[in-house]
Amino acid sequence: MRTDANAGALRLETRGLRALYGRTEALSGLDAAIPAGRIVAVLGENGSGKSTLLKVLARIRPPAGGEVLLDGAPLLARPRRETARRIAYVPQSVDLVFPIRALDLVLQGRAPHAPGFSADSAEDHARALDAMKACDVRDLAERDASALSGGEARRVFLARAVAQEAEIWLLDEPTAGLDPRHRLEFLGVLRRRHSESRLTVLLVTHEVDLAARIADRVLLLRHGRAVAEGPPDEVLTAGNLRLAFDVEFRPGAARLEAAALSERPPLTQ
Amino acid sequence: MSSRAGAHTRHPFAMAFALLVGACLLGVVVGGVRLSLPALWSGSGAEGEVARLVASIRLPRVALAGLVGAALALSGAAMQALLKNPLADPFLLGTSGGAAAGAALASLAGISPLLSPGAAFVGAAASSLAVAALARRGGRLDLQRLLLSGLIANAFFSALLLGVFSIASASAARTMLFWMMGSLADASFGKVAALLPWAAAGAAVLLVYAARLNLLAVGEDSAAALGVDTERAKRHVFLASSLLTGAAVAFAGIIGFVGLLVPHAVRAVAGNDQRRLLPLCAVSGAALLVAADALSRAVFAPAELPIGAVTATVGAPLFAWMLLREN
Amino acid sequence: MALAPNLTEIAFAVGAGDRLIAVSDFSDFPPEARKLPRVGGLDASAEAIVALHPDLVLASRDGNPRGAVQALEAAGVPVLAVSGESLDAVLAGIRQIGERLGKGDEARRLAEELSRRRQEVRRRVAGRPRPAALLLVWPDPPQAAGAGTFLSDVLEEAGARNLAAGRGGWPVLSAEFLATAPVDVLVLPDSPDARPVFEKSRASGALSRGAAVTARVLRVPDDELSRPGPRVFDALEALARGLHPEAWEKAP
Repeated sequence: MRTDANAGALRLETRGLRALYGRTEALSGLDAAIPAGRIVAVLGENGSGKSTLLKVLARIRPPAGGEVLLDGAPLLARPRRETARRIAYVPQSVDLVFPIRALDLVLQGRAPHAPGFSADSAEDHARALDAMKACDVRDLAERDASALSGGEARRVFLARAVAQEAEIWLLDEPTAGLDPRHRLEFLGVLRRRHSESRLTVLLVTHEVDLAARIADRVLLLRHGRAVAEGPPDEVLTAGNLRLAFDVEFRPGAARLEAAALSERPPLTQ
Repeated sequence: MSSRAGAHTRHPFAMAFALLVGACLLGVVVGGVRLSLPALWSGSGAEGEVARLVASIRLPRVALAGLVGAALALSGAAMQALLKNPLADPFLLGTSGGAAAGAALASLAGISPLLSPGAAFVGAAASSLAVAALARRGGRLDLQRLLLSGLIANAFFSALLLGVFSIASASAARTMLFWMMGSLADASFGKVAALLPWAAAGAAVLLVYAARLNLLAVGEDSAAALGVDTERAKRHVFLASSLLTGAAVAFAGIIGFVGLLVPHAVRAVAGNDQRRLLPLCAVSGAALLVAADALSRAVFAPAELPIGAVTATVGAPLFAWMLLREN
Repeated sequence: MALAPNLTEIAFAVGAGDRLIAVSDFSDFPPEARKLPRVGGLDASAEAIVALHPDLVLASRDGNPRGAVQALEAAGVPVLAVSGESLDAVLAGIRQIGERLGKGDEARRLAEELSRRRQEVRRRVAGRPRPAALLLVWPDPPQAAGAGTFLSDVLEEAGARNLAAGRGGWPVLSAEFLATAPVDVLVLPDSPDARPVFEKSRASGALSRGAAVTARVLRVPDDELSRPGPRVFDALEALARGLHPEAWEKAP
């Protein structure tokens, strides 16, 4: 694990957070703490409230009760633009009905920094292109984003988050539906960005092995509440997993898998 | 659609303005009655007088057609972006039905025809607000429900209109019917001046929200995460679009296909960036309707076709062709 | 039973008014007709008619929808459908209706009288210069009687040249045409409904500029002019007198 100046400081915190999804209560008093500079995986089955948590943090949904703190101060009291400069949200899927240039999609990441949400300056373009380069999608810049493959599109959205210059990333099921090669590419880019920019990453997934492999800490949710929180070894026990997923995991299987994967040579591109 | 989304026409604005100027010239020169430009220029004698008379009848029409066309095209473009639906059209959302119903009811109540634009506008606004209220879900404007509510509103207003027609006197029904099919026949600079502030207000709001519409077009969640107050944006865009449509219908009756087709055509040529699309649609919509007006006066001269009939006759097959091409 | 106002008038004119048990909504002439029960307008309901057990129903070939007429025939009700497309057709219709109602003689006499009046009009306007005219059936939108219509026929018989004869049917005229066409006379079927609409159009609408303003306005009562019945010949005379006043000044 890396150490950095902010180790130990909490970037995001929720206290007794309640939130609704439609009419049902998706989060029922969640206490969670996201330390700076860490990759935190939020794990749980569908309906556990993990996506809703992300949406509340991204200010896409308002909470129904409780507190949300950004760097110790209430998140919702700040102007939206300001928090959008600090927090980037990468959605699970996006329905692009109209054609849009991939570069323009990445440029949208500059919107919180631009007057009137209109990012068009030379500097914006430069940063957007750099971001695309950093995410290995530079050559897709002129392509129509609505025609890209799932993996390419996800990395374009990552580039958007990079262009946004946000220090906190919220990723919703980032590897869902990706084939192994694209998954590896994606995770490679993510890891690289994380180490280069001291990002705080909160990633929602139901893939236990992904959490095991990439997270510094795991937050396990069930029915809108935290079941366990801590480093993967501690959290990903058979007992916890059975509780969270109603499924028997072979003891140690997740960790074994994680161990095997981490022995592979790191990807260089 | 090509995956090279960047391959678009250079200088789209120049093209659009050229089209507009061309259309305006057409609108003044073409029609059932021959207008001699030299006579107009020299202005002398009986010929000059006739030329001036004809020009004085046509110029307000050109101006009104341009303004109405711009308003309709802008409104359509904004609704398509807002609803993420290339088939979205302000008429689908019940505004035109409400406007027509407002004017029809006013006519039935014996209110002076002078006030009918006002009544149409009130009807459009009331319809928009009702549709928006129906589409609220948990405090948010649900865009899918908006489309559905609009369909219901239109069905309701159609029924209402049929009822009004059946009990109206033959004379009132006649006047209403022609207006409803879209007519620029009584155009005057007074009407243009009355329409202008509403159209300008609606257009201004939309242009301010253009960049935000780009963000919304990718997704509401995505836009919210980038800092957009999505509820406010949706509300303002919807209302501005309704304002544009209601005002247009109030002054020119129901003219279809402009709000649907112009954004399509402009998008194919210049891309979907709302910051460019919206102003281009305004200019192109103006050009289109001015040209359609010239057609409506020229094709069956001395008779005049309702302009809504012209846009529908040209627009429907054109739209079908566009849809087929995309496959 | 008569399903159109002109048919009511014809029935009364041939002396068979007492045989009528019901008439259409707008049958207001002669005054006796107003007391008769109403059975609906041009789109009268077949059921209402059958329920009254008429021996004969007079229908208008151009006015009543064919479907309704066929429904009546299918229900076994005898129907006489007459056309009102032209002045000749009106005369023929008068004769037919008279025959059917047992008033053949009266009908023939009436038709001959009307025909004579028509010939008289023709004689008086013959050879005179024909003013260019537009017959506006409605001022807003300005809708004229085009070629092939009953009203166009009447207009031409009265000695005018129909400027809207370039189009068939009922063309809606553009303001620019109304302002620049060489129109001498605007013929208006006059009615309490139409007057205010015409005034408004004259003030600020399609009839407010150019030739439409300078043209002479000739008003003829609408219910005489537009109903293909005996009174249209009154209208014809009135129209002809209005168009060619000199033709009636001297004794023939």
